[in-house]
Amino acid sequence: MLNSTIVNELVAVVGRGHVLQAPEDLIIYSNDATVVSSKPEVVVQPANRDEVAAVVKIAAAHQIPITCRGAGTGLSGGAMPVKGGIALEMTRLNRILKIDVANRVAIVEPGVITFALTTQAAAAGLLYPPDPSSLKESTIGGNVAECAGGPKGVKYGITRNFVIGIEAVLADGSIVEMGNDVDGDMCGPDWTMLFTGSEGTMAVITRISLRLVRPPQVKKTMLVVYDKLEDAAETVSMTMKSGIIPTTLEIMGNSCIVAVENYLRIGLPVNAGGILLIEVDGVPSTVEENVERIEEICKQCGATEVKIARTAEEAEDLWRARRAIAPAFGRVAPSKYAEDSTIPRSLVPELTKRMLILEEKYNLPILICGHAGDGNMHPTILFDRRDKDQTERADKALDELHWITLELGGTLSGEHGIGFAKAPFLRAETGAVGYQMGRDVKTVLDPAGIMNPGKMFFFEGELH
Amino acid sequence: MNQQKMLDEIAQEVVKCSRCGNCRSICPVFLVENNENTTPRSKARMMEAVRDGELELTPGMQERFGKCLFCKACKANCGAGVATDSLILEARAALAERNGIPLLKKMAFTGLRYRKLFDFFLRSGSLFQGLVFKKLPDGRGRIARFPFPGAGLSVRRVIPDLASRPLRSRLDNVIKAKTPASKGKVVFFTGCTLNYIYPQAGEAVVNILTNNGWDVVIPEGQCCCGTPAFTSGDLDSGRLLAEQNIKTLTEAGGDYIITACGTCGAALQHEYALLLEGTDSLEPWQAISGKVLDISQFVLQHCDLSQLGSLPLKVTYHDPCHLVRGMNVSTEPRQIFQRIPGMEYAEMKDADRCCGAGGTFSATYYELSRQINDKKLDNAEATGMEVLVTGCSSCRMHITDGLCQRGSTMKVLHTAEVIDMAYAAGRKEQTKC
Repeated sequence: MLNSTIVNELVAVVGRGHVLQAPEDLIIYSNDATVVSSKPEVVVQPANRDEVAAVVKIAAAHQIPITCRGAGTGLSGGAMPVKGGIALEMTRLNRILKIDVANRVAIVEPGVITFALTTQAAAAGLLYPPDPSSLKESTIGGNVAECAGGPKGVKYGITRNFVIGIEAVLADGSIVEMGNDVDGDMCGPDWTMLFTGSEGTMAVITRISLRLVRPPQVKKTMLVVYDKLEDAAETVSMTMKSGIIPTTLEIMGNSCIVAVENYLRIGLPVNAGGILLIEVDGVPSTVEENVERIEEICKQCGATEVKIARTAEEAEDLWRARRAIAPAFGRVAPSKYAEDSTIPRSLVPELTKRMLILEEKYNLPILICGHAGDGNMHPTILFDRRDKDQTERADKALDELHWITLELGGTLSGEHGIGFAKAPFLRAETGAVGYQMGRDVKTVLDPAGIMNPGKMFFFEGELH
Repeated sequence: MNQQKMLDEIAQEVVKCSRCGNCRSICPVFLVENNENTTPRSKARMMEAVRDGELELTPGMQERFGKCLFCKACKANCGAGVATDSLILEARAALAERNGIPLLKKMAFTGLRYRKLFDFFLRSGSLFQGLVFKKLPDGRGRIARFPFPGAGLSVRRVIPDLASRPLRSRLDNVIKAKTPASKGKVVFFTGCTLNYIYPQAGEAVVNILTNNGWDVVIPEGQCCCGTPAFTSGDLDSGRLLAEQNIKTLTEAGGDYIITACGTCGAALQHEYALLLEGTDSLEPWQAISGKVLDISQFVLQHCDLSQLGSLPLKVTYHDPCHLVRGMNVSTEPRQIFQRIPGMEYAEMKDADRCCGAGGTFSATYYELSRQINDKKLDNAEATGMEVLVTGCSSCRMHITDGLCQRGSTMKVLHTAEVIDMAYAAGRKEQTKC
């Protein structure tokens, strides 16, 4: 369906060097950071909004699917071109257009690396809080499209809490601006919220206005050790109930601690049932007071040890364990389902209990960690995809994990998106009416169904 | 190693790659080009496709695999622990076997195999270099009189003079310790760049060793370490060179083998494993590989640092890839510099990021390697120091080229030269007393 006339039209827009069709290219662009893959028919790398619009017009005229892609670090198959067509790589649109200090707004193109924005905002004395663990390579466009979160989410919120304006190319090639750089735009529904987390199924985002905040004056980091994981989980509920809002509240279960210790050898308590990494920020007096109160709560909940970092270096040491989780998992088994099941934070203890049962049932390591403070957990099933039996067990465990999450009143995705991987479960979460609404909304914006087809509400496999 | 076995080994590594994309924030080539096509994870992805029969070992793949500096930064930072370096080496070998390697490279590697011919060629080169290159007025090197695209010689590239007399013909094969009693015997593996281009750095190594009481042997039979050949996929030439070196170094004996080039050192220490698996040379190599030390390691462990004299230099240090990630040497030179009185030292940002030289990479992709180098130079100049010190002559060549082109006054020295200067200052101070 992609003939040479169409390719020539694409070449005329972006230049020959940015239309890739070699067999090697198609393999490389066939997946994101998930195990599934599907090849595009062509990779197109536009340089600016007008090129994007021109490419979308060509695609619309010939009904060619378009799958957007940032750094390809997604964990739900969002950037995988299920239906072939065009893989639209947005990384050449990588300019930070403005950091407006007075109004605390950053205006960026979607291909900007999140870390580049964080750094530039910091240089201007401001903070862009969302900090997904892929922030050094993932793009803002991808973060917005998938609505990425991160450890700082407990206090500051996730990507959607920072998006105030979006410019996008709609499925017919027309350009729309939503929201406003004025923080507090309330002209009609929050359209930017509709597009945040839309995973490329509604439009191609070409410019984003993001809210920036004042960085905290001080922060304090603490590491708390527990004999039982349930006690750590209980601390999370108790802390939040007490009214304190920490910046970060990360939990790690025993198998996770052991994996990290085997990798880093930094003397983590390998016999502990669980540990919490807690960070509090704000003005000095409040931070001091909160740390004291949290320490008390930890001890009430059965903490065996509370380490409080006295210097920035010590804080960095405490963070090392958290940062090493993903690498450490890679050394336990080559393949993983890194999930982002998010549940009411009061049910973190329940979820962890259920995971332990699941681990035993399927005889596969399921490591428990996550941003416990906002209930955004990362149960991770480890297996070896070369082993058929293991893969089957992992698939079953994954399905069951999704059911448990929904049963606990949680959501399938706290930050990775639905994409392809979790689409079979989407209707179970939204309900039949919600699912139909999702389909209807998308159809209004993209009647021909060319934007990232086969994902989310338009998944074509069997629904649970 | 036959092709199938090699592909099987690659498959073992490939499965570990979770495609997380972390290498996108690390790979110096990617950071300049912003091109997914050459990321380490894409290389792993292509090899996976080859394993699954979805992709052939095409020239297109070879081109994509060519875009790698072999700086090992992706391996050092890979969460999943994928040995991207061996993956790339083996893939390049498999690709070279299928598609051949460029004629110029092939000729060069064949030349390397014939030690005496290679030596003759480079020695005569010093006589005739004026025909092809013109000298820069400041004496820092030469530029080509006309472009040689095939040899990676852009007209603007500043390349150093070939030494009129290489190091190994300046020095005797055995040089006795300059102290009354000898502490033992060490063997000096000079490497090509030190031998033919920067003999003064080689002389510095010998000075340090002999002044600290060690007898130095420079065995005549040593040849190129083989890295340029085997990293380009020519494992046969690499193996021949490795075997010649192992034979020579075994015969030479000695307590330690000293290198002053991370690439040579890493080859002798680790990289030969890939070439020698299943051959008779594996065992003799294992017997000598443990004796290999970089000159900075040797100085720190076996030389008297209290004899270092005052050296009023303003210094920053660049970590050569194969020294920091190949031989795990990074604190040693810094520790030594701290012990040199009067020296001012400032760390540059991203000191361990590749300078863009990458051996034959800078010949094949000169403009790209220049852009990578420019970041290094920006970071170096930002320190405000006057001398950039590094432990690799290939980095030195590339960095000097960059500094000349931007008209910088910053000088480049080998770690050994700085140490030797400090020892010389120490001796002078003592005679005064």
